[in-house]
Amino acid sequence: MFLPSWPTDYLKRRDIQLKSPLVLYERIKGGLRLAAVDAEAARCGLRVGQNLADARAMVPDLTVLEMDRPLLEAAFADFADWHSNASPLVSVMSDVSGFGDLVLDITGVAHLFGGERPMLRLLLSRLRDLGYTVAGAIAPTIGAAWGVSHFARSQVVERTDLEAILDGLPVHALRLTPAQIAGLTQMGLKTIGQLRPRERKPLQARFGLSLLQRLDQALGHIEERMTPRLPMAERYAERRFADPIGLMDDVLMTCHDLAIQLSIRLEAEGQGGQAFHLFLYRVDHKVMALSVNSARLTRDPEHITKLFSNRSERLEGEYDAGFGIDMIRLAVSSVSQLDAVQLGAFSHQGVAEDLDQLNDRMSSRLGAMAVLRTQLVESHIPERAARLVPALAAVNVPRAGWPIPARPLRLLPVPEMVAINAEVPEGLPASMIWRRESYKIERASGPERLGAEWWRSGQRLQLVPLEKPKKGEEPPYIPDLALFEPDAVTRDYYVVEDAAGRRFWIYRRGFHQQGEPAVWYLHGFFA
Amino acid sequence: MTLSDRQQRLAALRDSIANIERKPALAEARALVEHQPGEFPVLAGGLLQEMFTDERRNAGALLGFALGQAKGLLTEQRLAVVYLQLADEAQKLGMPYGPGLLSFGFDPDALVFVRAASMAELLWAAEEAIACRAVAAVVADIGSHSRLLDFTASRRLSMRSAATGGSIFLLRYGQGRQASAAHLRWRLSPDQSAQKRYDAKAPGPLRWRAQLEKGAIIKNQTEFVLGWTENGFATFTAQRRGADRHAGGAPLPRIVPAQLADGLSQTA
Repeated sequence: MFLPSWPTDYLKRRDIQLKSPLVLYERIKGGLRLAAVDAEAARCGLRVGQNLADARAMVPDLTVLEMDRPLLEAAFADFADWHSNASPLVSVMSDVSGFGDLVLDITGVAHLFGGERPMLRLLLSRLRDLGYTVAGAIAPTIGAAWGVSHFARSQVVERTDLEAILDGLPVHALRLTPAQIAGLTQMGLKTIGQLRPRERKPLQARFGLSLLQRLDQALGHIEERMTPRLPMAERYAERRFADPIGLMDDVLMTCHDLAIQLSIRLEAEGQGGQAFHLFLYRVDHKVMALSVNSARLTRDPEHITKLFSNRSERLEGEYDAGFGIDMIRLAVSSVSQLDAVQLGAFSHQGVAEDLDQLNDRMSSRLGAMAVLRTQLVESHIPERAARLVPALAAVNVPRAGWPIPARPLRLLPVPEMVAINAEVPEGLPASMIWRRESYKIERASGPERLGAEWWRSGQRLQLVPLEKPKKGEEPPYIPDLALFEPDAVTRDYYVVEDAAGRRFWIYRRGFHQQGEPAVWYLHGFFA
Repeated sequence: MTLSDRQQRLAALRDSIANIERKPALAEARALVEHQPGEFPVLAGGLLQEMFTDERRNAGALLGFALGQAKGLLTEQRLAVVYLQLADEAQKLGMPYGPGLLSFGFDPDALVFVRAASMAELLWAAEEAIACRAVAAVVADIGSHSRLLDFTASRRLSMRSAATGGSIFLLRYGQGRQASAAHLRWRLSPDQSAQKRYDAKAPGPLRWRAQLEKGAIIKNQTEFVLGWTENGFATFTAQRRGADRHAGGAPLPRIVPAQLADGLSQTA
């Protein structure tokens, strides 16, 4: 499908105040040139590439805007996603421009719309009703569809007429570079029909391989692939509404119905899924996608609905139904075999499943990085010895039977600096000041000397040092406790107990050196 | 109406009030406690316990006390303890540390660590977690007071925990006490550790001082000096070396609970 004046149509729809004729300009090679013109401006004789000053002189009451390509591309991507209500495989063809060309793979889809011809008519007419200028073609190859939609009337091209129709099109229809087109025009080759019988070798020598490739792609001699924007979901359930709906509660009720439909299908196939996606198609060409994950395979509709309702509560502010939602699709991915199990009264499996479902629910509401499990790592550096990983992804690692050293029950994410006094420099600490309070240390043991992991020195260089938090600012949360000191220094750890019985884990960074005061940190609390 | 009739009637009314209040009736609550004179009671699940300590720097001892109780509740059917903390309090209070749990005697695999962004989310997660029959206990570490954590919230939690049989431990800091529907309230402080054999200068086995402030669940004793081994709590007789070394000012006057529903206080 080709929307030649999409940028101006889109902006006009967005802002009704904009008056025709509307043009968008862009700075090209130091000059302000027109990049898009709407239909009325084109009637006044304006064209893309023209100088802005000339255009203003020709049409005095011109509305002029600067082209904002990133905005337009993002909007067109949303627009493309919305078309997945016609076919699941949609992509934006960005060969020529970041917007304006849409390609849909309708293999096996057309019969849902009563055939190819009615489908094309439906897709085009619903866009025209919205005020877009659009041309479209259904053809056996992507190249041919592009060419026909750009340079011929909208039609369905059968495989048998493919060559005949392509022959009549100008060479521009092959998605060539301007240099290639200029060269072909110089040679007098104006249509594809004139180009096709030519010998291939000289053409390749003169215009490069891409010309022949485009030609073969259009004719279907070699395959061209498209990258769909949305992941292909094998199984989904969807519902269309005659009247658009808006309330989140209605969406969730529909989601529950769809989950039941989907679970019946999955059960019949003996399958279960781990990732579920809810697509909300808005009337005004936007798609909202919500995704939830489950720790184990499931097809339980109640559970799926619960996850989505938790997810939606997190969404609250962002949720915007616009002018309403006219289609909802629930898709499942990461599908694999899930046999029906009989629940026994004495089986413990149900318990582990309950726990996983709890983790799913909490992750869907609080975010996956908020529900964590500890994974022990074989390392003697305290902050490396335990990683916090999302509970959804945690795997139990078997532990080696090493003796367990004394470690604190709580660890500070970022060690805090303390002031330590000792009677003799290498002796046990005698008093400590931490968070502006002083502690008299009655008992202490240590040091436990922990050196840097020299065998990881190569990897250490790749790590980005953690920025020290500024005063009054909370340190950033990093689940995999980040290295506090990338330039690892040997640390001497002490367990100290103050007069009231509080027990702390403190360490001195580096060794005692002549003339330099030692730097001490508090790293954890013992029970 | 004779005197015994009246007493029976009163007892029946109290029972029905206890039923309405969804508070475990006293007999039921006593059945949850295994208690030998002089020993620390073994508390079963289904209780909402508040654990206070005077200062945040006692956080380690407080977590140890809660996990010590939670460990006793872990079974094959109830295989997880959910620990909740506000994400921005991690640096103030410290985060539970896997190897430390291991050396304490608590399996780190049994701990699910939830970092909530706000108090509302934390309370939601606590209710959600306690409703799960695979959860033995929920430990909510709340470093600062929030308006959301009022009597209603604690009421909801206590009813949930009584209904599902999992325990909730609310770890709180400071000396202020708000009305709450907790079944028990402890005040915990660390105490000087015992002698370490062969090394008098080093910290020895830990000691805590636990004071039961609310919930007349055990007769005659409200103060315990506790130690911890991997198998459970050990109780010691309170002996004060020298003067009262209790930091943090004079202990609060003991709050006398209102006598309602057969001796189990409702608010205190």
